[in-house]
Amino acid sequence: MSRNEENKKFWLSLDDLKNSLNLAKAKDNEFAPGMTDEFKPEDMPSHSRRKFLALAGASAAFAATACTDYRDKGEIIPYNKKPDDMTIGVANYYSSTCTGCANACGILIKTREGRPIKIDGNPDHPVSKGKICAAGQANILNLYDPERLKEPLSGANGKFKPADWKDIDNKIIEALNKASADNKEITIITHSVLSPSQNKLFEDFKSKYPTTKIYSYELFNDKNRQSAWKRCYGESNFPVISWSDANVILSLESDFLGNEGNFVEQIRLFAGKRNVDDAKNFNRLYVAEGGMSLTGMNSDHRLRIRPDAQFEFVMSLLNEIIFVRKDSSTVLNSEIETKIKEHKLIDFANKFKLSESVLFSLVNDLISNKGKSIVYAGDILPEVIHIAVNLLNEVLGNNALYNKERGNVKQMPLSENAEIESLINSMNSGNVAVVLHLDTNPVFHFSNDYGYATALKKVPVVVTMCENENESSMRSNYVLPIHHNFESWGDFQTRTGLYSLQQPVIAPLYNTRQKESILHQWLGGNAENYSEDGYHQYIMKNWEQNIYQMLHLASDFRSFWFAALNDGVVNYKAPIPTMQFNFTTSDKFEYKPSNGNVLMLTRNYTIGDGRFSNNGWLQELPHPVSKVTWDNYAAISLNTSRQIGVKIGDMIDINASGKKIAFPVMIQPGMADDVLSIELGYGRKFGGTIGSNVGFDGIQLMSNKNNAQMLIRDVKISKANGKYKFASTQEHHAINEPEVMGFPKQRHIIQEGTIAAYIKNPDFFKDGKPKTEDISIVNRVQYTGTKWAMAIDLNKCVGCGICVSACNVENNVPIVGKEQVLVGREMHWIRVDRYFSNSAEQPETSNQPMLCMHCDDAPCENVCPVVATNHSPDGLNQMIYNRCVGTRYCSNNCPYKVRRFNFYNFRNHLADGYYNKDSLSLMQNPEVTVRSRGVMEKCTFCVQRIMEARQEAIKNGVQLKGSEVKTACQEACPAEAITFGDAHEKDSAIDYIRNHKLGYHVLEELNIKPNVTYIARLRNKAEEVQS
Amino acid sequence: MSFDYSQELPVIEGKNTFAEITDVISKPLETRPNKKYYIALAISVSLLLFGATCLMLTFIYGTGMWGNNNPVGWAFDIVNFVFWVGIGHAGTLISAILFLFRQKWRTGIARFAEGMTIFAVMTAGLFPLIHVGRPWLDGWLFPYPNQNALWVNFTSPLLWDVFAVSTYFTVSFIFWYVGLIPDFATLRDKTVNKVKKVIYSIVSLGWRHSNRHWHHYEMVYLVLAGFATPLVLSVHTIVSFDFAVSILPGWHTTIFPPYFVAGAVFSGFAMVQNVLIFVRKIFNYEHIITLDTLEKMNKIIIVTGSMVGYAYAMEFFIAWYSGSPIEVFTFVNRAFGDYAWAYWTMVSCNVLFPQLFWIKKIRRSIPLMFTIGVLVNVGMWFERFVIIVTSLSRDYLPSSWGFYTPTVIDTGILIGSFGFFFTWILIFIKTMPVVSIAEVKSVITGGQPTHHGDAQ
Repeated sequence: MSRNEENKKFWLSLDDLKNSLNLAKAKDNEFAPGMTDEFKPEDMPSHSRRKFLALAGASAAFAATACTDYRDKGEIIPYNKKPDDMTIGVANYYSSTCTGCANACGILIKTREGRPIKIDGNPDHPVSKGKICAAGQANILNLYDPERLKEPLSGANGKFKPADWKDIDNKIIEALNKASADNKEITIITHSVLSPSQNKLFEDFKSKYPTTKIYSYELFNDKNRQSAWKRCYGESNFPVISWSDANVILSLESDFLGNEGNFVEQIRLFAGKRNVDDAKNFNRLYVAEGGMSLTGMNSDHRLRIRPDAQFEFVMSLLNEIIFVRKDSSTVLNSEIETKIKEHKLIDFANKFKLSESVLFSLVNDLISNKGKSIVYAGDILPEVIHIAVNLLNEVLGNNALYNKERGNVKQMPLSENAEIESLINSMNSGNVAVVLHLDTNPVFHFSNDYGYATALKKVPVVVTMCENENESSMRSNYVLPIHHNFESWGDFQTRTGLYSLQQPVIAPLYNTRQKESILHQWLGGNAENYSEDGYHQYIMKNWEQNIYQMLHLASDFRSFWFAALNDGVVNYKAPIPTMQFNFTTSDKFEYKPSNGNVLMLTRNYTIGDGRFSNNGWLQELPHPVSKVTWDNYAAISLNTSRQIGVKIGDMIDINASGKKIAFPVMIQPGMADDVLSIELGYGRKFGGTIGSNVGFDGIQLMSNKNNAQMLIRDVKISKANGKYKFASTQEHHAINEPEVMGFPKQRHIIQEGTIAAYIKNPDFFKDGKPKTEDISIVNRVQYTGTKWAMAIDLNKCVGCGICVSACNVENNVPIVGKEQVLVGREMHWIRVDRYFSNSAEQPETSNQPMLCMHCDDAPCENVCPVVATNHSPDGLNQMIYNRCVGTRYCSNNCPYKVRRFNFYNFRNHLADGYYNKDSLSLMQNPEVTVRSRGVMEKCTFCVQRIMEARQEAIKNGVQLKGSEVKTACQEACPAEAITFGDAHEKDSAIDYIRNHKLGYHVLEELNIKPNVTYIARLRNKAEEVQS
Repeated sequence: MSFDYSQELPVIEGKNTFAEITDVISKPLETRPNKKYYIALAISVSLLLFGATCLMLTFIYGTGMWGNNNPVGWAFDIVNFVFWVGIGHAGTLISAILFLFRQKWRTGIARFAEGMTIFAVMTAGLFPLIHVGRPWLDGWLFPYPNQNALWVNFTSPLLWDVFAVSTYFTVSFIFWYVGLIPDFATLRDKTVNKVKKVIYSIVSLGWRHSNRHWHHYEMVYLVLAGFATPLVLSVHTIVSFDFAVSILPGWHTTIFPPYFVAGAVFSGFAMVQNVLIFVRKIFNYEHIITLDTLEKMNKIIIVTGSMVGYAYAMEFFIAWYSGSPIEVFTFVNRAFGDYAWAYWTMVSCNVLFPQLFWIKKIRRSIPLMFTIGVLVNVGMWFERFVIIVTSLSRDYLPSSWGFYTPTVIDTGILIGSFGFFFTWILIFIKTMPVVSIAEVKSVITGGQPTHHGDAQ
């Protein structure tokens, strides 16, 4: 091989030979021209590879985005300057006042990033003490209701066009001026006037437009009680009762624990005297009623008495106490004495087949607890019974329990029926020029006997101020959308010595105005320069000039005002009124029971007077007695049902005072025979997507007769054609399968005893029961640190369902709708189980809140194939929604059946995605995942609250204290029946209750170690007495 | 009348030559389908499409389309699953267990029964996948390494199901396929169609009927039969653990494993018997799938039916003997509660009607045995319904009791599952020999050379 050959150059092609120099150059330059250029498709030749790839990539990306259902949800703009009073992720609380009913409870509104998300009672409020009713809890949904009116409307005959506030203001001011000039009436129809500033506004309005008349009404009212007090004591503002001091309570057709008066306060005070550690001071509740009320469910002794026999009952008791036992020093006038002597208790007992033993125990208890007992009559009973009850309380010296320091106060008495009638007459005769419905719905609420809807046609200008469209707004010329409670300013007084303030917690969501602001604007007589702040200034001025002056404070007004807003309440010492019982006239002092059926029209437990109809959470809250959701019905007793041959769900025709309406029947254990009970507020025609045509309208059966609006006698009932389905969350065993009634006790789900047995032997409860040994074939997990646990005191729980409502709001529990409840798919994480025992005629009721027990050996956990449910080291049974594939095996294996499956994406499913509207997504608690379709969910023990407390403890470098965590249900429970905390925290409440002698677990024998301890209910039975 | 007990009764009737057997069995594969076949296929595919539509609605809207509710988390979905797994039991029992016991009468029906097993398990396997709330996440039920670091829960009987059913399917499929290899080779040799020839050549894996091949084949077949035998017992045992391992009264029962296996064999035999009645008629296999064979199957139906009946009685006895009132109520509720009609349908179909097979005339009457076979399957479907639905609808707390009513979609998916199953069966009978050519040849008169010379 020669050297030349070694250096020989090889060439591959002719080009190569030619360009070998260029090639060498190119090799030196690693980054060829164009290689490092910016990627600019427009500069590229049309056929370049890179351009092709760019176009292909872009097309794929476009195609992919076009095929997704991505919605532009608007811009999310972070704060670039942090507001002083707000930290992202940390809740702010504002005190305010609820305007859901005439109780005007103090509330505490939790807001996150400016959005109200949870309502609880204001702890500083002396009446509410941190508690609020179910509707108050769920009121948040009304704020975000997508069907709230968003702008003013004008039109007629139910057809409206959006209008401008200024135009409408001008037109109405013109009409008001014209009415004043023509001396025609301007009518304002409002609910109870509880606000001093609103009252002042009315006065100012009246002086500006002198023909103005104010009418106030409530569908559910205490007018009978007021007028009785007026006649007995000369004062219609009756005092509050010190329930917490009453050893014996006799409730006559009154649901003071369920829906009468400030029942949240009453539950608190009643349950306060049901403390098992103070068993000797347990109160004893006698209930004499014809319907089956929540109060009746909690009675120690219950007498079934038709409501129109209550007068005879009270008179017989008076006779027994005054004349038979001769145990009274009260001097009565002779006419009343004669009346009383006509009624004998024995005769009464025989006539209504009542247990003499119970009646005599009652008399004994009343006599031996003079001044320490209370007899309380229901709102629907006529005045004369209230008078007799007042007399009985006087005779027993029970007036000692009237808390005169805190009397009920109204700024303005409710209008008498006669006033309403004369209003309607003048409407018919054309003397009314303007009608203003001030957030009222009289077309729905007034009995048909008045003919209000027809009279309204004769009024030239009808204005309805409302949040949502309603029956009255449909008949108006102007519909003015108003602020929700949480967007409004206000002040309220319902008790002497107490003011409660209302402040907005969110800027108005829509183009609405506060109803008082609207009047305030008209008061100025000018549609220009509306100021959102006008009424706020008006209130402040009123306070500065009147209330602040009256209080004689050292601080200046501004400091006082801001302190008051901060607290939400202003307490002051008010003069104590003197009240002297002085009832002498005996004319008309009688009330005879009729022989026919009697119809009771009562207040419902959830949706108020119909104003919460469009609130699905409340519609879906089970009725505390029947567990029916989304409906009302005519409740009758088993005997009565047999007489007319009907079963649950059959339709009956009700013939009352010349009106005939078909209602579905619910056979309610515990009802008195020949009594029908119908709850009002249902059957709205224009109540929104959720609220329209839910249930039946019983208001049509009401009469316009004073004093007897809600109690209609001589009602004819007959079986009608048709069947109706109730969406009940519990089956009706007491009626359909009486043998099942014994199961809860047989299966040790419900364990009960009596006070007498407990006092005699505190260990009676565990005596004779085999001790279950803790057997396990595997090594148990040892919980050494924190271990979360709950206890529920069944002595205190009245079964009101407020916990359910609170849980719904806290945990974003979806509404499923009636047809889904019908197939058993309600989603409530906590439910209140109601069991009847004894018989369908004389049932004893046991309530039991039921939620996830967070069992140590949870049977749901080992069957989940994907470990979506498992146990935390601090004893929580957890649910990983993202992990869940939805086999439902966990639910099948849960003996308490507390797990809830998302059979649909219920938010999409309910009323065509009603729940999915944008405004409602603002309502969700940001700390709780919104669950999707196909996922199991259940109570978490409010893990978000535990985590918040833990985070706080870590931040502060302290040990987490379990007793500082409160679950939503616990926080809401007005009876304080729920205790939560760390079972390992020494000397904590939960540690004490878990080891209580009355504590038990449901289904203990399964050895799954549940962590919810129930305190067995003790019934405070009177000893058997012989006559 | 005297029998020569030294000789086995012929399994295949008449004198057939090997060629005749090959011809008659391969005939359906060589002829074009007739009108009747298309009608049958049309019906079957319609049912399938109906079910598919219902399933699509379920996927779009959610399991809420079904009647399942809060106490009754499982209903038609799991009823159908257990029912179809049960149907899938006869095949392997016939081909594996009867093979090990040298029951020659199995040869005529084994192939078909195995095919049915495969299709029934395929049908069954759909249900666990579709019954979940989020079927697109079904993959999470399988233990595979993934970036989400998700792992399954080995204590869950549902996971055991995944293994039991997939193992059963795999082994049954292999067993079936191995049995098919000599037949594919025969068909390969016989066909003149080029496409078929290629396909048969591939699937017959180069089988040349050599002595060596047969030797290996028989060993493999025996080993696989040994594998499959415990599976017959294990699959339904594990399916029954879904219930027995739970703490629900009516589910938590130790008798479930044997009871479920007996029930599965029971329903599987009834289904095989039902379908074979048509197959032997349509394809003129009456001399291969003989009345004697059907009668033997009916005998197994009496045995397993009686076992099931015994289990029903024993469940009641143990419920009473346990002294647990909750347990007692569950069973009283089954017999006299809201679903009593389902319970009594089950008892009459599963316990009473099969007892008629004690009568030889009924055992050998085609219409009657068909009717009873249908009733057995109705009864066995209801058995699963009774176990699952009645127990769930009324368990511990009376407050949470609820009633289950199926929806149209539920029924549609059940119907669709029959469509799915029969569509596969119809495809099977036109594409593969439904009777094992090789095995039948071994049992025809004169099939086995003996030292007596040519028999008879």
